[in-house]
Amino acid sequence: MVKNRVPMREQPVNVRVTNFNEVPLGYSTEEALTEASRCLQCANSPCIKQCPVNIDVTKFVEQVAMKDFRGAYSTLKESNPIPSIAGRVCPQENQCEGACVMGKAGQPISIGKLEAFIGDWAIENSIRESVQIVENGKKVAIIGSGPTGISCAADLRKEGYKVKIFEALHKAGGVLRYGIPEFRLPKKIVDIELSFLEELGVEIQLNTIIGQHISFEEILDEYDAIYVGTGAGAPRFMKLPGEELNGVYSANEFLIRTNLMKAYKFPEGSDTPIIVGKKVAVIGAGNVAIDAARCAIRYGAETHIIYRRTKNEAPARQEEFEHAIQEGVIFHELQNPVGINGENGWVESITCIKMELGEPDESLRRRPVPIEGSEFTEKFDTVIEAIGTLPNRLFLEKAEGLEVNRWGGIKVDEHLHTSIPGVFAGGDSISGGATVIQALGEGRSAATAIHKYLFSRT
Amino acid sequence: MSKFKIIRKKDLNKQDYLIEIEAPRVAQKLQPGQFVILMTHEDGERIPMSVKSTDDKTIIMYIKRLGKTSLELDDLKVGDSIYQVIGPQGKAFKIQKYGNIVWCSDLVCGHAENYAYCEALSKIKGNHVISIQSFPTKDDAYGEEDLRSVSHEYYLTTYDGTYGRKGHYNDVLQDLLEENRVDLVFGCGDIGKLRDMAELTKKYDVPARAVLRQIMIDGTGMCGACRVFIDGVMKLTCVDGPLFDAHKVNFDEVINRLNMFKKPEQLAKDLYLKMRDTNG
Repeated sequence: MVKNRVPMREQPVNVRVTNFNEVPLGYSTEEALTEASRCLQCANSPCIKQCPVNIDVTKFVEQVAMKDFRGAYSTLKESNPIPSIAGRVCPQENQCEGACVMGKAGQPISIGKLEAFIGDWAIENSIRESVQIVENGKKVAIIGSGPTGISCAADLRKEGYKVKIFEALHKAGGVLRYGIPEFRLPKKIVDIELSFLEELGVEIQLNTIIGQHISFEEILDEYDAIYVGTGAGAPRFMKLPGEELNGVYSANEFLIRTNLMKAYKFPEGSDTPIIVGKKVAVIGAGNVAIDAARCAIRYGAETHIIYRRTKNEAPARQEEFEHAIQEGVIFHELQNPVGINGENGWVESITCIKMELGEPDESLRRRPVPIEGSEFTEKFDTVIEAIGTLPNRLFLEKAEGLEVNRWGGIKVDEHLHTSIPGVFAGGDSISGGATVIQALGEGRSAATAIHKYLFSRT
Repeated sequence: MSKFKIIRKKDLNKQDYLIEIEAPRVAQKLQPGQFVILMTHEDGERIPMSVKSTDDKTIIMYIKRLGKTSLELDDLKVGDSIYQVIGPQGKAFKIQKYGNIVWCSDLVCGHAENYAYCEALSKIKGNHVISIQSFPTKDDAYGEEDLRSVSHEYYLTTYDGTYGRKGHYNDVLQDLLEENRVDLVFGCGDIGKLRDMAELTKKYDVPARAVLRQIMIDGTGMCGACRVFIDGVMKLTCVDGPLFDAHKVNFDEVINRLNMFKKPEQLAKDLYLKMRDTNG
């Protein structure tokens, strides 16, 4: 038994903080074979049960070890339409790798890295899964081209549906495009995985907002079923005094400028600018906060994360968190901003209050409580608020009859069916803010539910 | 995908030009109050733009040679295509009877909005539409004939008095307010003058609306860059606007945010001009 995993080669820290290129360099064939052969091939495969889309992990890892890369690719694609993406952005430590038996004696198998290796191998060698599509004559519209829309589209298309995805922006991919930075997920990978979808015959119509450019009623009439995967794209602000100041960004704005619009190439390679000061404060400690902080570091700023709880409660992925700290992000726990102070219209400082942990709250994490009289002010010239997002109301306001829950997410039953017959929803539009893989899983469940709904009716 | 072909281009004065672009899907849906987002090329900015009018398959815009994108667009020729025309974005304005309406503009986007609103509002029975345009001097003036054709009363002012009445639209507006024959005022253009318009109408207790032109990225409600505070409540210009109650807008904040990217915008423009010079 080999206790330790084959380490992933990465761009050295001092180099990677000066560019937006991917940090891990990917396994070589040799490395992948060695890593895959560590797998014990457990009969009960806890890794599969912990995967939100139940990838047959044991099988694909064995296929890698046997150097049957084509077979491994087919195994992955049976459960996951975008292995190159999921292998990079899944929180494996809480899923397959968290359950891996090898983790008890040493390090778990690098399942995510092997998945990305196989996905990339297929891309490099122009391998396609062989799919026979028998048209069934039914049409489904998918709203949003993010992870949940992609997986729902892939499954439905394979069942013979005519599928059309409507995307609001000028590039497809949703959060994979505008949210996750290049150094975690190269956009070339997103382009290629999406092109596979189009090769299957899925149509993607860009620059189209349902409810604004095409009415919801129009697509209700035209399609047999609709899947809503509109995500949670609207920014949430803390409602602090000073949020109108120049130098205050929502994490969404900071990331959209950087990822979708490629502001890091301004002015030569992109026309969209970004202004990043010398000292940046990122508020929040989720994955989005970490992504924003790591971008800020790459723009050359001294970057601080301010979080009201402690590192133990931080929702960010461990690997991302560690990468951020390695890259020089300074983490402040048990602090919460109460105001942003300005000078001549620009951010000058932040006033924070110190916090302590009280009793556990609804999320079972200990509730942060402000310590009275502990306010202090520190100089910053850029503030990025990364405290979560809200469903995009542009669609919801115009979708008459679509019921939403307390915080604005779309209400669904256990089959992801909304209050409108034939309209299903999943991903962040129902959950608020989850993982790419959970969204993928819901897309697949929705595809199954839509198929059942359309073919069990008489 | 549709190609967004340039059908017509015409200089309006030294800085401003008219451009007509083929965008059938947008043209068929666009209503007064709404705007479009243009991208000249794949790595270009997404810039919000007012639309003066639409034809069956085309949209007509007034554009000022100001930043890199507007210069780049100006360097394209009739027959060339641009990367994207996205829209219509923003809320449509309800066209109905409002009574005596005054529409004021003193800058390129404002003149386009002026026409778009007046054309629709003047068709409604019971509306009396007064359109006012302001320009620095006689040579800058354009749009008079068009606006006369869609309004019941028309005024043009130049700051130096070389054409029309001397002064600014606010001077004409003050007279109209004084004559007590205004029910609703609209304005778009120079933000400082728009603030004056808001102050003036507030004094006479006449409702006023301002079309805001904040900096946007996606223009779909995702980034929050175009946030403005209306009576202290955060609103997004792209999805809640771009038309707001002028009496409730915090103009200081609006003006400050409009200036946020001045430096990089200048940098991109200089670089473009340099490149254009080098390429002859």
